[in-house]
Amino acid sequence: MSKNELLEHNVHPFKYHDDIEKALEEIEKLLKSNYKVSKRSVALLLLQDDEEITELVRSRENSFPEIQEVINRTRKKFSEPLHFVITMQRQKKVDEIVSQVVKAGDRSRSSIGSWLDRITVQPVTGIPILLLVLYFGLYKFVGEFGAGTLVDFIEGNIFENYINPWVNSAVQAYIPNRAVQELLAMEYGIITLGIRYAVAIILPIVGTFFLMFSVIEDSGYLPRLALLVDRVFKSMGLNGRAVIPMTLGFGCDTMATLVSRTLETRRERVIATLLLALAIPCSAQLGVILGLLSGRPAALAIWATFVVLVFLLVGYLAAQVLPGERPVFYMEIPPLRLPRLGNIIEKTVSRMQWYFLEIVPIFIITSVLIWIGRMTGIFDALIRATEPLMQALGLPPETAQAFLFGFFRRDYGAAGLYDLQKSGILNGAQMLVASVTLTLFVPCIAQFTVMLKERGVKTTLAIVAFVFPFAFLAGYILNLILKLAGVVL
Amino acid sequence: MDCCSQKGNVLSRFFKRKQDNSFSHQNCNTRKKLVLVGTPNVGKSVIFNRLTGAYVTVSNYPGTTVEIFRGTGRIGGEIFEIIDTPGMYSLMPITEEERVTRTLLFNENFDIVVHVVDAKNIERMLSMTMQLKEAGLPVMLVVNMMDEAERLGRKIDLDRLSALLDIPVVGTSAALNRGMDQMRRKVAEYVKKRVA
Repeated sequence: MSKNELLEHNVHPFKYHDDIEKALEEIEKLLKSNYKVSKRSVALLLLQDDEEITELVRSRENSFPEIQEVINRTRKKFSEPLHFVITMQRQKKVDEIVSQVVKAGDRSRSSIGSWLDRITVQPVTGIPILLLVLYFGLYKFVGEFGAGTLVDFIEGNIFENYINPWVNSAVQAYIPNRAVQELLAMEYGIITLGIRYAVAIILPIVGTFFLMFSVIEDSGYLPRLALLVDRVFKSMGLNGRAVIPMTLGFGCDTMATLVSRTLETRRERVIATLLLALAIPCSAQLGVILGLLSGRPAALAIWATFVVLVFLLVGYLAAQVLPGERPVFYMEIPPLRLPRLGNIIEKTVSRMQWYFLEIVPIFIITSVLIWIGRMTGIFDALIRATEPLMQALGLPPETAQAFLFGFFRRDYGAAGLYDLQKSGILNGAQMLVASVTLTLFVPCIAQFTVMLKERGVKTTLAIVAFVFPFAFLAGYILNLILKLAGVVL
Repeated sequence: MDCCSQKGNVLSRFFKRKQDNSFSHQNCNTRKKLVLVGTPNVGKSVIFNRLTGAYVTVSNYPGTTVEIFRGTGRIGGEIFEIIDTPGMYSLMPITEEERVTRTLLFNENFDIVVHVVDAKNIERMLSMTMQLKEAGLPVMLVVNMMDEAERLGRKIDLDRLSALLDIPVVGTSAALNRGMDQMRRKVAEYVKKRVA
C-alpha cells in the first residue's frame, strides 16, 4: 500500500448522523490535494469551523467555494453548532464503548485523601494552609536555610576565607598586569565576583527553592491553589489556570513566560507576561530578599504587602485596559499524590544543572563587561548618571551598581544587593526601598528574549516601557511614605 | 551509525531536551518515529523518560510540557526517535500548547502515534483516540495509571477495548515502571505489521 492509501484506510471508527456523513463524503470528493492526515479528518475539521484548517484548504483547493457551500447547507440542518453535534455524537460512541469495558469502582478516594482535597480548596481552610506552605516552604526553608545558613557558609566561609584570598594572591603573584588581575580577581573579577555570585549566593538559594518547589509540584497542590485563587485572578482578567505560570515565575520568570502558553487567550497571555515581568521576583531575587530582610520582620512584611498590592493593582488595571472576554476556568485536577523521592531529586538536580549552565556564562560575560566598563570609565559614568535617580529614592549612589547588575540578570542584581548589605551601606528603610524597586525593576535579558519570542516586539517593548518607570516611581512613593511616616526599620 | 547511538555525551543529551530541532542529521531518515500524545497530566513525559532513558521534567499538574522534546530509544531491536508533546484535549486546539502538538501531527510522518490516557478518566479521553483514528494515523492506546484506577476498584477490559477500537491497547503504570516491556513489545509488533 502506498502512503496515501494507508492514510485513507480504516478511518471509520464509527458513523456520524446521516446528514453529516453525506456532507463528509461530498467534501472528501472535493479535496484534491494531499494532506498528512485523512480527508475524512480534514472534512470533519472543516465542518467544525477550524480556522487553521479552513485557511489551509482555502489556499490549496480550487473547489473551496463548493466546499463552503456543503458546509453551509449542512449547518442549516442542525439547530446546534456542528462542532457541538459532532462532539456529542462522538462522545456517545465513546460512552457506549466504555460501558462495555469499564467496571466502575465502588471504592471512592480514601477518606484522608478527600479530606485533604476539601481543605486545600475551601477558602476558610485553604488560605491558612497556603500561608503555612509559604511560611515553612519559602520563608523558613528557602529564606532562612538557603539564603541564610547555606549562603553564609559557602559565601562567608569558603569563598571569603579560602577561595578569594587564594585567588587574589595567586593572581597577584603570577600575573604582572594590573588590568588582567582585575579581570580575574579583586572586587569585580570573573572569579571573585561572577563565579562567587553564581556558586555561593545564587546556587544555594535556587537549589533549596527548586527542591521545595518540586515537592509542591508533585503533590498536586498547584491545581488546588488555582481553584482557591480563581476568583481573585478573575478580577485581573486571568483565571485560576494562570496560577501555574505565576508560581513557576517564583522559580524563574524566563521559564514561566514560556509556560504562559498554556493560557487560552492572547489577552491572558499578555497580562500574565506583564505581571511576571513586573511583580513576580524570581527564586534568586526572592531568596536574597528574604535573607536580607529576615532580620527585620517589619521591613519584610512591608515589602511583601507592597509587592502584592502592586501585583493586584496592575493586574486589575491591565484587565480594564485590555479588551477581551473573561476566561472560563477549566482545569484537570489531578489527585494529591505522595511525591516520589527519586523524581524530586532528579527534577531538582536537572533544574539546578540547567540553571547553573544558563547563568554561569552570563555572569562571566557580565563580569567582563563591567571590567571593560571600569577600564574605559563608562561604568563610573553610568553610576554617576544614575546618582540623581538613587537620590530621589533616598538611596546611596553605590546602590546604582546593584541596579546595573540587575539589568543583566535579576539574580545578579539581587546578589549585588547582598554585598551592599554586608558592607553595611544601607539602613533598614533604604534596604526596603531598594528591594522593592529591584523586585519591580526590568525583566532580565533572558526573560526579555523569551518575551520577544513569545509575545512579539510591540507588546514586549510596551511592557518594558511601562515597567521601567513604574518600578522607580513605586520606589519613590514608598520612600516618601516611609519618610513622612517617620518609619525606622 | 554514530548519530543514532542511544547515548550521547551528557551535554548533547542536555541540549536535546531543550531544543526541538537539534535532531536533523541527514543519514537518520530511516529511523522509526514514535510520538506520544494525550491530555495534559496523563504521564506522557514519564513514558518518554522510560523509553529514552533521558530526563524531561515530570510534575503532578497539567501543562508541565509546553514544547516538543525529542529523544531516542531502542524498541524491539530498532532505534526509534521518540517525541514528547504538550498535552491536548482534542484535534481542535484551543490553547497555544495544543496548537503546537497538532501542527506536529499534521506536518510530520510517524510510524506510530501513541495515545496515552489516564485509566481513571478514560471516558473523557477516548474521544481523541477516535479523532486520531479518523485522521488515519497509526494509533496505539496506552492506558496509564492503572495502579491508581485499580485502587479505586475500577476494572478495565483492555482486550475488549482493543477489539472495539480495532487498535492495540496496553495497560501501564509508567511511574512504577509497570507494563513498559509489554508496551515496547506491542509497539514493535505494530510497526512491523504496518510495514508488511
